Amino acid sequence: MEERQYDLIFICRPDTPEPDIDKLISTLEHAVAEKGSKIEKTEKWGRKRMAYRVRKLQEGFYVYMVIRSSHGELVKELERRLKVSDPVIKYLTVRLDEELKRQDKLKRIRERRAARRPRKSAPAPTPAPPAAGEQNAATL
Amino acid sequence: MAEENVPQQQPAPAPAGARPHGKPSGPVRRGKRSFVRKKKVCRFCVDKADFIDYKKAEILAPFLQERGKILPRRMTGTCARHQRWLTVAIKRAQNIALLPFAAGR
Repeated sequence: MEERQYDLIFICRPDTPEPDIDKLISTLEHAVAEKGSKIEKTEKWGRKRMAYRVRKLQEGFYVYMVIRSSHGELVKELERRLKVSDPVIKYLTVRLDEELKRQDKLKRIRERRAARRPRKSAPAPTPAPPAAGEQNAATL
Repeated sequence: MAEENVPQQQPAPAPAGARPHGKPSGPVRRGKRSFVRKKKVCRFCVDKADFIDYKKAEILAPFLQERGKILPRRMTGTCARHQRWLTVAIKRAQNIALLPFAAGR
């Protein structure tokens, strides 16, 4: 299976001591490593006000991770762990690789178009020099 | 030149009666009161956005009504493609409490 990219965000109770959060993160890291996957980045966004109350709490400690995995079961396992752990009040996993692929594609199209346009406006210098080897590149 | 103007004027008054939808044909409406409506442009197209990040709540917030509803395209001028991405992004943000489902109080 090809590699997939996921965003994982979870929110802890605001009164959780920071070491506990670090411990939780490291257990998740272990779980990820066990499945032969990797964590691209981990960000602690810190205490933030939530847009609505969750478990009668108005604030939460946000943690954001980016995970690359080719193992589908991993997400299930991570979500199970988050569900079980007490300080976590909310979590969300989003699969992002297809959207990023689309983003890449659009970007490439845009760049190609941008590259083509100035050539049309200044036509003289480019068509003249190409040698036999370079013509291949031009037809691509 | 004068001859050209005559046929151009003829079709102009026709759509006003012919259009049952009552939609103005463009931003400029000619009639008793003529006014110019500013053409709305999709903000994401202006920024050349290929991806709308659900994590940036401050970008998404202007597209919500004060009670938390998503603003329709006709209000914001967002193009169809970006509105589609936008709704997905907003819904994700709602899920992780970055944006409200319905602003209470």
